[in-house]
Formats: sequence, C-alpha cells, structure tokens
Amino acid sequence: MFRNYLKIAWRSLKKNKVFTFINVFGLSIGLTCCLLISLYIYHETSYDSYHKNASRLVQLGTTFIRDGKAERTPNCPAPMAAAMQQEFPEIEKTTRLMKLFAEDKTLLQYNPQNGPAKTFYETKGYMADSTFFQLFSYQFIEGNPATALGSPNTVVLSEEIAKKLFGNEPALNKTISISSNTNGDTTFTVAGVYKPFKKPSQIDARFFVSIRGGRMEPFINQQTDMLNNNMFHTFFLLKPGATAASLQAKFPLFVEKYMKKDMEATKNYKSQFLLPVTDMHLHSNMKANITPVGSMTSLYVLGSIALFTLLIACINFMNLSTARSSKRSAEVGVRKVLGADRSSLIKQFMGESIVMSLIAFLLAIVFALLLLPGFSFVSGRELQFSLPEHVPLLAGFFCLALLTGLFAGSYPAFYLSSFKPIKVLKSRFSNSMATLALRKGLVVFQFMISVVLIIAAVVIGNQMRYMQTKDLGFSKDQQIVIPLRSNTSKNIYTALKNEVKRNDGVLQVGASFYYPGIMNPSDILMRKEGQSLDDQKDVFLNTIDENFLQTLDIKPLAGRLFSEQFPGDTAERIIVNAEAIKQLGFASAGDAVGKTLLFDWRGETHRFPIVGVVKDFHFQDLRVPILPYGFFLNNRTSYNYLVVHANTGNLSSLLKNIGASWHKLNPNEPFEYSFMDEDFQKNYDGENKLQGMVDSFTIIAILISCLGLFGLATFSAEQRIKEIGIRKVLGASVSSLVGLLSKEFVRLVLIALVIASPIAWFVMNKWLEDFAYRTSIGWWVFATTGVTALVIALITVSFQAVKAALTNPVKNLRTE
Amino acid sequence: MEKIYRTEEVETVALNKLNLDVKEGEFVAVMGPSGCGKSTLLNILGLLDEPDSGSFLFNGIEVAKYNERKRADLRKRNIGFVFQSFNLIDELTVFENVELPLIYLGVTAADRKTRVEDVLDKMQIMHRRNHYPQQLSGGQQQRVAVARAVVNKPKLILADEPTGNLDSSNGNEVMQLLTDLNEQGTTIIMVTHSEHDARYSHRIVRMLDGQTVLENIMV
Repeated sequence: MFRNYLKIAWRSLKKNKVFTFINVFGLSIGLTCCLLISLYIYHETSYDSYHKNASRLVQLGTTFIRDGKAERTPNCPAPMAAAMQQEFPEIEKTTRLMKLFAEDKTLLQYNPQNGPAKTFYETKGYMADSTFFQLFSYQFIEGNPATALGSPNTVVLSEEIAKKLFGNEPALNKTISISSNTNGDTTFTVAGVYKPFKKPSQIDARFFVSIRGGRMEPFINQQTDMLNNNMFHTFFLLKPGATAASLQAKFPLFVEKYMKKDMEATKNYKSQFLLPVTDMHLHSNMKANITPVGSMTSLYVLGSIALFTLLIACINFMNLSTARSSKRSAEVGVRKVLGADRSSLIKQFMGESIVMSLIAFLLAIVFALLLLPGFSFVSGRELQFSLPEHVPLLAGFFCLALLTGLFAGSYPAFYLSSFKPIKVLKSRFSNSMATLALRKGLVVFQFMISVVLIIAAVVIGNQMRYMQTKDLGFSKDQQIVIPLRSNTSKNIYTALKNEVKRNDGVLQVGASFYYPGIMNPSDILMRKEGQSLDDQKDVFLNTIDENFLQTLDIKPLAGRLFSEQFPGDTAERIIVNAEAIKQLGFASAGDAVGKTLLFDWRGETHRFPIVGVVKDFHFQDLRVPILPYGFFLNNRTSYNYLVVHANTGNLSSLLKNIGASWHKLNPNEPFEYSFMDEDFQKNYDGENKLQGMVDSFTIIAILISCLGLFGLATFSAEQRIKEIGIRKVLGASVSSLVGLLSKEFVRLVLIALVIASPIAWFVMNKWLEDFAYRTSIGWWVFATTGVTALVIALITVSFQAVKAALTNPVKNLRTE
Repeated sequence: MEKIYRTEEVETVALNKLNLDVKEGEFVAVMGPSGCGKSTLLNILGLLDEPDSGSFLFNGIEVAKYNERKRADLRKRNIGFVFQSFNLIDELTVFENVELPLIYLGVTAADRKTRVEDVLDKMQIMHRRNHYPQQLSGGQQQRVAVARAVVNKPKLILADEPTGNLDSSNGNEVMQLLTDLNEQGTTIIMVTHSEHDARYSHRIVRMLDGQTVLENIMV
C-alpha cells in the first residue's frame, strides 16, 4: 500500500511539473532563507561561549552620568582591576586588555639573521595582562598559555601572523619589533602561537603583546585615579558559586570609597557594572564593546524575515496543495468506490505532501551550503555549517519541513476524503466559499509581507544614499590619508609633507591625530570662563597642524584658523565648532572668539583662549549628532596621519609620486594609504550589510509570492476554462478576458498594499530613529512600492490569463 | 425505498417508494429518461449512497442503515463498478489500476500479480499492462475498467452507461464482456439509455419519476 502511495505521489508530482516546481522550489527557498538566517542568529548568539570558564567570566564596565543621561562603556581605568580584586573575595583572577587603539594597523618587523627583513602592517593587536590566557581559552600550538605573557616584552601571535613572519620555522623565542602609536617602538619575544577557534569572539585579536615592556607601561603604572582614563577592558574570573549580581551590588560602596571625592570635585559621575562575557556581543547595551556589537534589533528583523519568508513559502505550499486538490477529487472518488477507506486516503495525501516537503528540505540544505559563502560575505560574519555542530538545528528544520508537509497535506487529506464518492465522481468538484476566502486571505498575507519588505528595502536604500551624499561639512573627496604608525614615519612628517606639497594636483597637506570617520577617544570636560563645574560640557579634541583644517576645507565662522603666520599659536590655543559654542553658552560665534575655555584637572585649571570658531562638520557618522569639538596645535611634530587634499584627474600618478617620496624617506616601511570618503563610509558597513540582506530577502519573498500567485492564477484559469470558452463564443475580446482573470488578483494585491503600508511606515520610522540625520518616508515610497507590487502581480497573473484567453474556445468547451 | 434531495427551496424526489428485486446471477438493465432516478438507484445499490427510508437487502442482509465504514467494506468485497467515463487513475498504469481493489482488500503482492495478469489476459489487454490510460483508446480503457471491476471476483457488477463514451464496435465488445461475466455467474445491473445494450440483459426495468413503471423480460 505504502509503495502505491509513493508511486502515485511521485507520478502525480511528475505529471504536474509546474505545480510541483512551484511548491517544492518555493518551500525549499523559504527553508533555505530560514536556515541561513538561523545560522546567522546561531553565530550571533554564540559569541565567547567556548571559553572553558565562560560561565564565570565577567567584564567590568563603566556607566558615565552626564547631563542626566547614563552612557555605558566597556572600559575602566588601569588600577581598578587590582583594587577590586583586593576588595572583593568573589574575584579569583583579573585581567586587562587594551586595543592598540590609536591606529588601524601596527607595524611588525622581523629581521632574520640570514635573509631580508620581513615587514608587515597588521591589524587587531591588543595589549594584555599576563593572566589573560588563564582566563580566556586559546588553542596554543607553541608556548604555554599559563605563562605566555608572564615576562615583559612578550608577544603571542595568531598562527597566521606567525606563518607570515617566520614561515614554517618555529616562532617561539624569536624577536620581532612592533611599532604602534599606542605603545611606541619596542622589541618583543614570541612567547606563544595560537590557532583561533572557529567560534566567534568579541576579542578579535590577531596578536597580543604584554602590557609590560612597551611605552604604555610607565603610564599605566603611574595611574592611581579611578575616575579618568577609562581605557582598559577589564575581566574577572569569579570564584565558583559567586554571582555577578551579588558582586555588582557591592560596587556603589566601592565607587564611594575610591571615587566620590574626585567625582564631586569634577562633577563627573560614574558607576560600575558587570557583564557576563557571553553577553558582550549581544546584550552589552552599548554602541560598541571591544569590537562592534551585534544588534538584537537586527536579529529580530532578520528573524522576522526568516519566519515570514518561511511562512510565505509554507502558505504557498498549502495554498497550492488545496487548490490542486480539486483536480484530485475524481481520483478520491474512484479510490473510495474501489474500497479505500478514509484513513487510507488521509495517509495517501499526507504522504504526498510530506514527500514534497522533505524533497524541499533536502534541496534547502544543498542551497544553504551553496549560498553560505555569499551570505557570509553579505552578513560580514564567518558563518559555519557543519554537521556535528548543527545537528539540533537541522533536526529542527526537518521537523519544520515535516510539519509544513503535514499541515499542507491535512486540508486535502481530511477535506476531500470526507466527501461521498458519488459527489466527487459525478460533479465537478469545486471549493467552498470558505476555502476560497482562506486562499485569498493567504495571498493577501503573502503580498503584505512582500510589500513591507519592499518598503523596508526602499527606505534603507534611501537612507544609505542620504548618508553617502549628505554634505558632511568638510571636503571629503580626493582626501588621501597616509598613516604615520612608527616613530620613523612620525619623524619624517615634515620632510614628507614638503615633498608631497611639491606635486601637481595637491591642494593642501595637513596632519592630525584623528580624522573624520575614525574613532576619536580623546575628550575632556570644558566650561566657559565664569561658569561653574556643573556647566561643564564634554568636548572631543583633535591635535592638528596649521594646515589640517584648510586641507579639509573646514571654514571659519568667526575668528581665524591656526596659521604659521601667528607664532603665538601654540598648544594652549583652541579652535572649536559651532555646536561647542552653542552648548557652552556663548551668544554667537563672534562672541566666543577671544574668550577662554577652562579645563579642570587634578585641582588645576587650564585655560584655552578661543582663536576661531568653525562651522559644524560631521566627525562621526550620521547616527550620531554633531557634538562639541575642539582643535589644538601640537607642541611636537608627531602626528598619526598625514592628509593630502588632491585635485587631479590622475590620482594614480600622484599616489605613485607620494609612494616614491615615502620610500625615499622611510625605506624600511611599506607605503599605505586610504581615502577619507571610503573610510567614512566604513562606518556604515553594518547598514550596508543589512541593506544587502533585506534586498536579497525582499527579492526572495517577492519571488516566492509570485510563484504562489502564478500557481493560483494557473489554477484559476483552469477552473474557469469553461467560462472563458463561453465568453469567447459570445464575443469577449482577449483583453477583456485578461482583465477578468487578473482583476481578482490585482484587488488582493491592493488590499495587501493598504494593510502593509502603515505597518511598514511604523517599523521603518523606528529604524530611522537610530540615525541623528535621516531621510523621511515620503508618499512616493508607498506609491513606488504599490506600482512595483502591482506590476509584478500583473505580469505574474497575466501570463496565465493571456494563455487562457488565447486558447480556442472549442477546445475549452470540449474539455468541460 | 425512498430518496429525496432537498435544497432550501426545492425538494426533488429521486426514488419514490421504489420496489425492485434482483436475483443472484441476473443481468438487469435499468432504463428511463434523464432525471428519472436511475443513477440514484445505482448509487444506493452500490452502497455509495443511502436511502432516506425503506429497506435494502443485500444478499439477504439489511444494509440500508450501514455506516460509511461498513458500507465501504461490503462494497470492496462484493461489488464492482463500471462507469461511462471509465474513471481510471491517470497516474497509474493499466496493471496498477486493475491492481488497486486488491490492494485495498489486503491481497499479497504475489497473489495480486497472478490475479491481475489473469484478468488482463481474459480482457485481452495484457499487452497494454504497462501503458497509462491516456495511451489507450476508449474501448481499451473501458476494458481496463471492466477488468478492475471484476478482479476481486465481485458478486455484483454495477455498470453506469458503460458504452456511453464508446463507438458501436467498442461498445459491443464491452457488452459482450459483461454478458460473458454474467454467464460465469456474476449478477449485473446496468443503467443505460441504449435499447441496443439493454437487449443484452435478461430483464429491462423502466423507470419514471423515481418509480419502476414497466418490466420487460427478455427472451
């Protein structure tokens, strides 16, 4: 009997190729999307869960309270780890980690005894305490994790960097020199090489250097202040049985004991909190932790997309199964006449449906494997799909496919099998009004989802375009950024600047610590002369040379820019932006020039006369409002970046010349550069990825919806074949018949549009709220979406409608 | 027995206190104009439908009030059907179509094979055993339908205008098959519009407005 069911199922699927394709392909695409997004969600929720002591590892964070607003950050001052360990017996071990933050890359050099020096710029370097590898699990292939950073001037490398520097030779005990803005130029001995886990971690390090031994060590050792210089990621290994909540409850007393005096003196308030290491990525409630954090909102959005895509596919599957069921009514009748009882028919229909859903499941696995590299690229995550690890996920999807099959098969199984055989044999079976209403409801629901996704894609696209084209308040085009990472490169600043200036097509050359679009960790609390400490405002600072503002074409609103023509311009003078003037309470930019800003530090008040006010510009991405910003000159000629403003049609030739100058002045280091506009856009990588994903899934959702609509249109045309024949005999034109057949579906799409538009408007407005500078959702977004959805629906439906309308009416009537 | 079809506004009497007695081994033709109740009668006799009132003795047992499950069981063991439109399952081959009633009876695969081949042989359609219905002529399809109807050796064959979709030559062939089956002991009740076909039977029952109005015994 079972074989007979399978045989019938297989032949029926083969016979109705279009329906089978729509059903199986649609469901498999839905399952594939859901599977890929599940892998992404699985990845996002498994950060740092692989550490042996993950359940006992916590991160110490700081909450700053400024202007009544609390802001959580993942850092705290250097001495806090030791002080807390001394105060709280719950802490078994502590460790500190600091990103080599003031640069994007660090220079690593190896000078072998025989052969040429090997020099590379490497990313993702961290300074760490000697206890780091006792808390966090790393697979060491050379060295001992327990002692790896125990000695000063030691470095632990990832396998990849070790290979680059030493090839296949052992790396252990070899000496390399590392040059960084944060930690100076120092030599380090390799104390370990590790193989990174395949699981994700917030600590994306490619190498670790010991805190002891670099330029930072004396600075760190001097630190006694627990209020300022919140630079360190601090972690605790709690003793077994200790909980983060009970330990955190003791922090207010700690803060009072160690910081109360400083806080009251500076009116700078903060508190401390603990965060389980496994929550660092998704639940830190910060803009960024050690590395950019994941967004629960994005996971919810993607999860919803996954669910809805699957739902659309499942609805299609059920919809088409029920639509097709009427074609099977004669078979049901025959089987019943020949002795089939209801249960055997139920089993048969369920079996067919399950066979299809399981084929879709297998296809989905194949599709997911094929699409995984592309999806990893779009999502920016290294996603894995391996059998032992994802067995529960696959089992879940298997059950889901099975359930979909069962659910889809249940209608024909229970409904058709309930009919008296003579009814289905004698009369052409037609679906009840309730069934038709349900089917229409399902089509409306599918298109609602598609419409919401189309609107989301349009709004995200709009916002991205807005961010790419908005005037940032400075000239961002043809700005070449040359990092000065090592002491040597910092020392060639003046000579390099002069060489570069000599090139045709160079408008200006300036230097700075930071430039717009990259992280600027430097900020102080300032006030206007005459104001109290309560009136202090946080002002971000950048140290620049006399030509930097001119290079960026940032114009003065009042006063002037720094200039070599004013020998009195020193590091004690400041230029601020218009927002700083507004927040610090000056009447106007003109009013501020010549006035003094005050900065209180350890009982001393430092004075900074304002020489100029510049118009506001975006030094951070457009998610963030423009904040108070100030510029100082540098006492020394030591900058992190040289910025070249070019205006040439031949950039490659200019870059070649600059490269030649670099190599002449600094032959041992590779020449690297980037473009400021591209660096600025990197801030929107997350949004770009979201856009990519929403676009892809919108196309998929539309595709699946269209497959469903196509199937139903085919079915509808078949159901009405006699009507079409009669109408043609009576003189109906092809266009009127196409209109007749399409009208119903167009109406459904319009209903979907009306319901979906306010939902999409609400959701996308919420998304836009994350951006301080955003586009609006105009009426045209809905109009475009409506027209798009209608055109897509019409094309889908009219294909079948035209085909049906063009058929010879004699044939149609004979068919009946 | 009586059978009345009701809608909200109309009441149609399909069988009006109809009395009919068919002996084992008989070949009865039922004739009458459209709407006289022939098909309703056939459906009730085939246990596909039930009368509203009255009695239906099948093989001496009262079956009028049987539930769906019991009717299905009685049907699959005792009754074979031949339809005007053949009602073969398009997705199954000739062999598989004929095999279907045996599957529902729980006959073993080996036994099924023997019995199906035997009946296909008798119906002279063996050479088409692996063909699908669409690949056969109308006459061949009806022969397959007859083969399917007799494969489980039913006591009764109900034929609903079995030659309605066939040309005269194929129609005669099918009628000859039914006659042969009847001669081998199978009771046959056939609804037909064709006087020619009716002449193959032992008795013609003529119906009008849900009642039998005349019975002709064929000589």
